[in-house]
Amino acid sequence: MKSDLRNSRMPSVFRVKTRQADHGDIRRPVFLVRNICAERKSRAFFDLGFGMLGLGSIEMTCCSVKRPIILLLLILAGSVLVACDRQEAELPAVAEKRVVKDDLGRAVRLPETVTRAVSLAPSITEMVFAAGAGDRLVGVTSYCDYPAAAKNIQKVGDTQSPNIEAIIAVRPQLILVSTASQLEAFATALEGQSAAVFVVDISKLDDVPDRLRRLGQIFGTGERADLAAIEIEQRIAAVERRPRPERPPRVLLQISEADLFTIGRDSFITELVERAGGASVTAEIPGGYPKLNKETALALDPEVIILSDSSDNRNPNDAMKNSSAVRSGRVYRVNADILSRPGPRLADALEQLATLFRQEPAGN
Amino acid sequence: MKRANYIFLLLIAGLAAAVAVAVSVGSESVSVFAPDEQGRAILFDIRIPRVLLGACVGASLALAGASLQALLRNPLAEPYLLGVSNGAALGTLIAFVLLGDVAGARPVLAFAGAGIATFAVYQMARSKAGMNVERLVLAGVIITTFLSSIIVLLTSLLDAARLRGYTFWLLGDLSQATYNGFYMTLAAAVAGTIVLTSQARALNLMMIGERDAFDHGVEIGRVRMIIFGMASVLVGTSVAASGSVGYVGLIVPHIVRLVVGSDNRLVVPMSAFAGAIFVVLADTVARTAIAPRELPVGAITALIGAPLFIFLLRRS
Repeated sequence: MKSDLRNSRMPSVFRVKTRQADHGDIRRPVFLVRNICAERKSRAFFDLGFGMLGLGSIEMTCCSVKRPIILLLLILAGSVLVACDRQEAELPAVAEKRVVKDDLGRAVRLPETVTRAVSLAPSITEMVFAAGAGDRLVGVTSYCDYPAAAKNIQKVGDTQSPNIEAIIAVRPQLILVSTASQLEAFATALEGQSAAVFVVDISKLDDVPDRLRRLGQIFGTGERADLAAIEIEQRIAAVERRPRPERPPRVLLQISEADLFTIGRDSFITELVERAGGASVTAEIPGGYPKLNKETALALDPEVIILSDSSDNRNPNDAMKNSSAVRSGRVYRVNADILSRPGPRLADALEQLATLFRQEPAGN
Repeated sequence: MKRANYIFLLLIAGLAAAVAVAVSVGSESVSVFAPDEQGRAILFDIRIPRVLLGACVGASLALAGASLQALLRNPLAEPYLLGVSNGAALGTLIAFVLLGDVAGARPVLAFAGAGIATFAVYQMARSKAGMNVERLVLAGVIITTFLSSIIVLLTSLLDAARLRGYTFWLLGDLSQATYNGFYMTLAAAVAGTIVLTSQARALNLMMIGERDAFDHGVEIGRVRMIIFGMASVLVGTSVAASGSVGYVGLIVPHIVRLVVGSDNRLVVPMSAFAGAIFVVLADTVARTAIAPRELPVGAITALIGAPLFIFLLRRS
């Protein structure tokens, strides 16, 4: 997957995974403290310590890396098999199948009517509800909190680590996965089983209405999905008809305050900012969510700072204390969920950003 | 001693050169001699505190490593590998979670965490027959993995957004440098250099054997307490300011020993300078390699440190 950190020249010992943040599909490079740290330290120790003691470190390190993966695969395979046996017993003769292409170009075989689906990303949950098929969802992630009805659906783990047993327990016909969640391995594990895995990739604003229609086709709610898609298209068009400032303001979108993560070239938010009439000052930086050097942040001197609102992102980073944006009071918080989930509420984010970009500096 | 003086001079000049290089390059090009207003802000608010903090962190970690290696008579004794850094990291995490931004809470709890981890490793490594290398290594592994698992547990249970900054920081990251952090680590590094160098003679004797040292009038228990206490202060302050920067305490003293031999009166203070040079240069790479993005400095030190250590190991 394209994660900025993996593109960067990191030593393999430090293979940092990008993790999804708590509230979004944003591929935010949260460094995996967890296993990585534990693993890296213990491995370093094995390499050096046991190597030195002459216990032969190679086998040990290999095992320590591979074993959990193999184990996981075994468990996955085992549980899927068990579940299939059970499902075939419980659900005899599934109706005729149809084949659709998902966003990775995979051919996915679906039953004619999908009545039981699992969504593994908050953005997809929002999309399914908007497409008029919210009542078909029998499992969602613990982050899926919008619309309110999503909160009452069975939770099947979080976006990064879905619980495969919990998923199988709700007997889905279809599992919807976001490319933002990087669950390819998981999707492969379920491939060809009775539950179809459909990968959704929303990488720009216009993908939203398009994918709404696709979901409408999948769930047989085409009419409602089409209405939702048209509404979003009209809202986007309305924003684009609004009078624009003569020159797009230079915008810095700050995702976290202290360590200054921001949006890069590959983020859908960069496109969103541009569609809203702003110019992201970090638009040329490679990757999705780069950690910006503070010197560069200071030198970029943004005219508007948008804070993706979360508990670690209440104020602009210190480096920006003398920027045009801070001096003129053009620092705004935008709900992180609508900004960071590539779903129907991107239209809300677009409208809010367009309004903010047109606001005059407080002093004038 | 004459050669040693030259080496000292060389190290001081090297540190000055490293700082000069580090201050003059960065993700933005700034004229160091005639900076404009923005250039001044970049230099004085961002770049200089970071370079100075890096120097003090490097000195602290190398000092801790050099003295622990001598005290424990173990070439692998290093704050990072023994779990001391992890203890400090856990202390910082607890301060971060429970006390938030209370001034001074992080370094104090980091020191406490480092001290407890050091004590635990030492107690586990001890046996009736005295300390042995294998037990120390194993104790370090156990403490490191145990503390890591607590960190994993805490970070899994807590609000992910609040901990995001923490997670990058844990890999060793100097990007959040402030003058306050610099003053704190500077105080620790200066105190560490003085205190640990004052124990160098005792350490020399103890490297021959604790019994011999005792016969020469070394109060072994007291020396041990001073070294453990000082190492915990050094690791605690640097981890609180910049996370766990690995391998500095391991390879820097080894390289110094290759040059000047194993006399701790030279190894301890020289390690401080060499460690400062190492981290300042490593962080310069971390800041500029993929600018305007950043790498954690811990990735660079490990990238250089691990192969270098294997090389040193094979040579000796």
